[in-house]
Amino acid sequence: MRYFLQKLSQFAIVFFIVTFGVMVLMRLGLNAPGDPARTLLGGTADQELIASTTAKYRLDSNYFTQYFFWLKGMVTGDMGFSVPNSLPVAQLIKGRVMTTVLLGVYAIVWGIIIAVPFAVRQAYKRDSAFDKIGSGLSFAFVSAPAIVLAPILTLILIKENTITLWWPLNDYQVTFGGWFPRIGNKVYPWQDLGEHFRNFFVPTLVLTLPIAAVFSRLLRGDMVQTLQADFVTLASAKGVSPRRVLWVHALRNSLFSLLTSVGLQIGGIVGGAIVAETFFDLDGMGTMLVVAILSKDLFTVQSAAAILVASVVVVNLTVDLLYAVLDPRIRHARALA
Amino acid sequence: MTTTIAPSTAMTPASPEPAAELAPRKRRFKRPPIGYAFAVVFLVTLTLMAFLADYLPFIPYPDAKILGPDGKVGRYDWGPSWTAWFGTDGVSNDVFSKTIYGARTSLQVGVFATVLGIVVGGALGVIAGYFRGMVDRVVMIITDCLLALPALLLAIILVNRLDDYRLDTAWLGWLSRKWQIVLTLGILAIAPLARIVRAQTLSLREREFVLAARSIGAKPGRVMLREILPNLIPVILTVAFTGLSILIAAEGALAFLGLGVEVGTPTWGKLIDENRNKIDESWWATIFPCMMLFLTVLSFNLIGERLSRRFDIRQAGV
Repeated sequence: MRYFLQKLSQFAIVFFIVTFGVMVLMRLGLNAPGDPARTLLGGTADQELIASTTAKYRLDSNYFTQYFFWLKGMVTGDMGFSVPNSLPVAQLIKGRVMTTVLLGVYAIVWGIIIAVPFAVRQAYKRDSAFDKIGSGLSFAFVSAPAIVLAPILTLILIKENTITLWWPLNDYQVTFGGWFPRIGNKVYPWQDLGEHFRNFFVPTLVLTLPIAAVFSRLLRGDMVQTLQADFVTLASAKGVSPRRVLWVHALRNSLFSLLTSVGLQIGGIVGGAIVAETFFDLDGMGTMLVVAILSKDLFTVQSAAAILVASVVVVNLTVDLLYAVLDPRIRHARALA
Repeated sequence: MTTTIAPSTAMTPASPEPAAELAPRKRRFKRPPIGYAFAVVFLVTLTLMAFLADYLPFIPYPDAKILGPDGKVGRYDWGPSWTAWFGTDGVSNDVFSKTIYGARTSLQVGVFATVLGIVVGGALGVIAGYFRGMVDRVVMIITDCLLALPALLLAIILVNRLDDYRLDTAWLGWLSRKWQIVLTLGILAIAPLARIVRAQTLSLREREFVLAARSIGAKPGRVMLREILPNLIPVILTVAFTGLSILIAAEGALAFLGLGVEVGTPTWGKLIDENRNKIDESWWATIFPCMMLFLTVLSFNLIGERLSRRFDIRQAGV
């Protein structure tokens, strides 16, 4: 318990500093032509509206007061107003957040689903051809950022390709691709599962492949070391089947790096989601944030940044909880502390 | 996150026959480092070509119009061919030449940003690890904050803001778009470097040679610069190469999102963004810059991987 309070307070400090920093950064940009409220509202706003906006968000006071009032609004559910979209920020984010959350969750879940079997088998058959090919592949995908994968996957999966084969098969043509729509529509799984799959598959793949590669590299490394530990030898010696040794005894003890990395990958996923959403014109938080930053939409950026930082915190805390689930030693040590 | 000297040597089972320990250690058969060799050759070639592009006869200027098959200027006229190796793009420029000139920008930005990150992040890490206590706490909070926001998001905000400041502030006139990106990516590189350097410093400061230096009255500055820093070079070098690959990818993403260098200077990200809607008819204008970016990132990663094997460094958190 003390451990968690400690962590939580640490995260709270980071949360306040980061959101305040983002606010100051964005707010400084609003000062440019003079009146922050006028910049925020655009050229055609009348004096009355400017005055009321300034008063409402305390735009004329110092940054700390402004931050405090923004935070107060945030807590009470009023995230401010996004002028370029003429929508309250809360509503704007509500319409977008699901896309990005789905992308992120799919990426992590599928990343784990793909990575674990590969990594376990690679570690078990260490230095075999399978291991080498798998390591090579995962290394390649680690180095393939979203901006590279998106066009290549578009070429392979979305574009309809017809290739005429070479010499011995001269007159044959192979057609592939064209399976997925170029522009991702926001179809949620509870609306139409098939369409949802078709629209989300390629963007998800863009995010999943690098993550799966990172996971499988980490897990393979840990697994190789675990398999050399004494307790694995003991389990094998007392006649536990190799499958059980591998999937229960060894896997459980090798999951820690992978878990830690899930927390660290959130930032990368959001970055990848920004690129993938832009590339496939999928309406999500990523595209919203880019547009908001470029159009100096103070409240949108601030609120979205707060949500992102908070979600990083939540994921990291969950990871910490999972440590305790995986490792009784941690559980007991924390119970004592 | 945590970087420790990997206990792999301690964990590997002892060799079966003790006699083998006594015999002069034979070099075990090593797979020829194909990947590493490829990476070095590719990067050296790319760098040379990028910086000598103005003088090389087979690289046209990036804004030179390549005439189409009918002798006129057209759009996307050539696929990959002898006339234009990577084809031509929407303004009938040579894509090969544009990717090479794009490499110049990406490599410059990546290297300068990494140097900035190493200097600031390394200094922070050494100071935090050496003094510990409050200093350490503060540095850790700084790195936590830098890592809490998604890196690309922070980069977009910073580049966008820096651009505004430049317009408002007279003395920042030199800060062109390229240097804004360098500064931004450098800031992003600080946090991971500071963490790794700090972790290493924490273990180094307990070693005997540091104690010896301190016992003959060396000041902290001297201990850090002359005793600890030289021992950090392998770590920093390794992380630098891995970081370079990440930063180059980030530069590509920024350019793709419209926050690239000035108009007129081609970069990979910009090429991908400009031509991606034409991927059906003329895939070459998008895919070749993609492949260039991929191969560059891969090469830096391969070198980083080899260095980390060589120096036995684990870098899970980068």
